[in-house]
Amino acid sequence: MRKSGKPKVQLIAPDSYPQMLSKPRAARALHTLRAPETAAKAQMAMEEAMPAMRAAILQYVEEMERAAGDMTRLFDAAHEIRGFAETAGMVTTGRIAEVLCRYMDDMTRFGRPLDATIVALHVAAIARAARAEDDNVRTGQAVAAELAALVAKRLSEAE
Amino acid sequence: MSGPGFENLKALIVEDNAHMRSLLRALLNSIGIKDIAEASHGQMAIELLRERKSDLVLTDLAMKPMDGLEFTRYVRNNDQSPNPFVPIIMISGHTERYRVEAARDAGVTEFLAKPITAQNLFARIAEIVERPRAFVRCDGYFGPDRRRQQRDDYSGPWRRKDDFEIKEAR
Repeated sequence: MRKSGKPKVQLIAPDSYPQMLSKPRAARALHTLRAPETAAKAQMAMEEAMPAMRAAILQYVEEMERAAGDMTRLFDAAHEIRGFAETAGMVTTGRIAEVLCRYMDDMTRFGRPLDATIVALHVAAIARAARAEDDNVRTGQAVAAELAALVAKRLSEAE
Repeated sequence: MSGPGFENLKALIVEDNAHMRSLLRALLNSIGIKDIAEASHGQMAIELLRERKSDLVLTDLAMKPMDGLEFTRYVRNNDQSPNPFVPIIMISGHTERYRVEAARDAGVTEFLAKPITAQNLFARIAEIVERPRAFVRCDGYFGPDRRRQQRDDYSGPWRRKDDFEIKEAR
């Protein structure tokens, strides 16, 4: 137990620093956040954003395909796809991109070389899923699951 | 009780992807936040923070030339920071544990994993409004209290002044 001197840790209570909202405003803000009309407005905003987001995902897919052996460029494009494909309603596309990013990120962290075949398989699967009219087809989900299993196996070998 | 409550807030979105910035802006608009500035990386965000007050910051993690971690560390620790206490929500597709811990240790208030949903974003904002966190200043860290709960089974070191009071009371 500390016997003397200033405490090394200073705790600053919420009342002691400026808050984002005053208490009366905070109560109103919480009401707004939880109101059904807010959810409806937000849903509408999401739906309005979707066509542009889907178009952007397809551009990132092309970027990924053009990147060929440039793994940094390929990762950057895959990372963007992982970031908002699911928000754009392209669930399978987003999940495969997530697996690819995890694979590339972890192998780099372990200092291991990337397997070009695994990367190419993912790129092809992402492209196919993104271009499919119905992104959520069972085939796409099966491919995503198989690729995830393959990456998990390779990563466990690499650790 | 009637809303919105957020009408006078100023927000700052720091995100390198224009589509994500646009979506985040639309979601903030839907709760009544209209005064929103946008930056595509941390350095630009710092300049905006100096020019204009911000009450809430949403930031991406991976950006160039300055990422969200460095930006957060600047806001929390730099002598020139206009508001070291500003709530920062980090939004990222990088959800690996080590990255989330790095965000926490940089001083983010909340972490939101992509893909974004309105529900998740609003839940993080509600957390900031409803349960504002104490700030901690110690060697090597200034930011929101990283312990979210007082755990009865906590077995780590007891370091804080109020820890001793709690411990002695048991």
